[in-house]
Amino acid sequence: MALTTQEFAFVSGLVRREAAIVLDTGKEYLVEARLLPLSRRAGTDSVSAFVARAQRERALAEQIVDALTTNETSWMRDREPFTALTDVVLPEMRAQRSPAHRLRVWSAACSSGQEPYGLSMLLEDAGMPYEIHATDISSEMLERAKAGRYSQLEVNRGLPVPLLVKYFHRAGTEWEVSEALRRKITFQKLNLAAPLPSAQPFDVVFLRNVLIYFDIETKRAVLRGIRRLMRPDGWLFLGAAETTIGIDDGFDRVVAGRASAYRPRAAAGAPVNAMGRG
Amino acid sequence: MHAMVIDDSRAMRLILRRIVTQLGFEVHEAGNGREAMETLESLDEVPKVALIDWNMPEMNGLEFVTAVRADERFRQMTLMMVTTESEHGQIVRALAAGAHEYVIKPFTPDAITEKLALMGLVPSGTTS
Amino acid sequence: MTSPTLEDLQTITEQVWQSYLDPEGLNPLLTVPEDALPSDVAASISVSGPWDGHVVITCSHEASRQAASALLGIEAGEVTGDDVADAVGELVNVIGGNVKSLLPDGCLLSLPHVITGGQPQSSKYPSAVEVCRLQGVWQSEPIAVSVWASKAA
Repeated sequence: MALTTQEFAFVSGLVRREAAIVLDTGKEYLVEARLLPLSRRAGTDSVSAFVARAQRERALAEQIVDALTTNETSWMRDREPFTALTDVVLPEMRAQRSPAHRLRVWSAACSSGQEPYGLSMLLEDAGMPYEIHATDISSEMLERAKAGRYSQLEVNRGLPVPLLVKYFHRAGTEWEVSEALRRKITFQKLNLAAPLPSAQPFDVVFLRNVLIYFDIETKRAVLRGIRRLMRPDGWLFLGAAETTIGIDDGFDRVVAGRASAYRPRAAAGAPVNAMGRG
Repeated sequence: MHAMVIDDSRAMRLILRRIVTQLGFEVHEAGNGREAMETLESLDEVPKVALIDWNMPEMNGLEFVTAVRADERFRQMTLMMVTTESEHGQIVRALAAGAHEYVIKPFTPDAITEKLALMGLVPSGTTS
Repeated sequence: MTSPTLEDLQTITEQVWQSYLDPEGLNPLLTVPEDALPSDVAASISVSGPWDGHVVITCSHEASRQAASALLGIEAGEVTGDDVADAVGELVNVIGGNVKSLLPDGCLLSLPHVITGGQPQSSKYPSAVEVCRLQGVWQSEPIAVSVWASKAA
C-alpha cells in the first residue's frame, strides 16, 4: 500500500510550499505513518486514496500539512505582513480615517488562531479601535482557535515574550489568550471557494497560504469575492509565495515595508494612493 | 559572531550548541553564572547573545542576568533565558531583571531559531 | 492542595519526547498498564515550598542508554555512564520544572539527582505518597515517570 511517486510528489510539494519543509525521497515511510490516522479518520480505504482526495479538498490538504509539520504553527512565521501592518497600514489609517473609525480586519484562513490573536495583540498595542473577523473552513480548527489555548511548545514558537506575558495566562499545562483579545474577535466557519456572504467592508484582509491550495479558476473567484468585501482603499496580505498577479487584475501590488500587499485597483483616472507599484 | 550557552547540564549545552553553531555562531559554554562571568572577562569580543538556564549551582541565571545588566561593557549582549521555569510570574521576574527573550524547556530547535530571528540575530526564514 | 494529574504528566512527557527524544514522531512513549517493570536507573528532582514532593523517572539501563543517545546525538554503543546521568538528569529536570509550573507559586526546584545502580526505586520516599504515575514503554524498554507528594503537604 505504498505511496506512488506522484502521490509522494504531491505531498512533498504541498509541505514545501506551505511550510517550507523539504521531504526527500526516502521519507515515504514517515509520510505514510503520519497520514494513516488521517486516512482512517476521513474514512478512505488507504493512504493513497486519502492523498488523492486531498488533491481536491483543501481541508484535507491542510490536515496533511498539519500532520507533517509537528503541529505547531509559529506565531510570527513570515513576519513581514505583521510589520507592514504596524509600520505602514496603521499610520495611513490614522491619517485617513476618523479617530472613531473601528478598523475591520479579516483573518480569512485563521487555522488554529495564531493569526487573528497575533493581529489582535498588535492592534491592541497600537491603541486603535478594531474588530477582527476570523474564518476557516475547518470546524475543528475553528474550535481550537475559539478556545484560545496553546501548548507550551506552541507559545515557544515565534511569540515575542513581552506579548506572552501581556496577553496570556497559564491554564494548567497550557496558556490561554486573555479575555480582552477574545472579545474583539468573532469566529465563523466559511468556505472561501463558495460564494461569500455579504458583510461590512474590511480595511485589512489576511489571506495567507490558502490560494496555493486552489486551482487558477478558484483562485480568481476567491480573489474577486474578497475584493468585493474590501474597502476601495483596503489592504490585502497574501502568503510569501502567493500573488494576485496573472490571476486577478483587480488588484495592484504595492510595497509595504518589506512585504508585498495588494490593494483594489481604482477605476481609471482615480488612482488610490498606492505606495509605489512593483 | 559569538554566542554563550550557560547551563549546568552538559546534555543541554550540547543540544543548544548544535542549534546555535548551525546558525553560524562560535559557541562558548559555561556550567553556571560564575563560570560565564569568567568566560566573558576572558573573551576579546562580547558575545552577541547568551542562552541562559535559570537553576544552576553557584550563580543562577537570574543572578547572572542581573550582574550582566549592571555592567556597561556587556550592554549590547542579548540575554535569552532557556529554562524550565515557566510560571507567568517567573517570566515577568526574568524580564524585570533584564532578560530580553525567553524560551521554555522543552523546546524544539525551531523555537530557538525563531526567537533569535525575532531579535534580528539571524535572518528570518532560517527555520526549516 | 492541588497536585498534578496523570493527564498533566502525560502532556508534559509527550512534549519532552516531541522535543528531544522523538522529534519525527516515530518512537512515542506508549503507556502500558503493567507495574513493577525493571528500573535500573532512577533520576529525581525535588520541589519545595508551598508544595513539597518529588518527580522521579525510573527506567531500564537500555532505555537510559537510548535516551542519552537520542538527547546527545551519539551512537547508543558509545554512551558512557556520565552521558546517561547527564541525559536522564536533564529529562527529570525539564519534566520537574513543568510539573512545578502547575503548583502554587513560590515553589523551588532542586538540582537533579541520578542513581544508575542497584534497585533505586524501592522505598525511595518513605515520607511521600505517589500522586500519579505514567508507566510506559519506549522502543520496547520500560520507562516510568511519577510524581510524589510529601505526606505533610
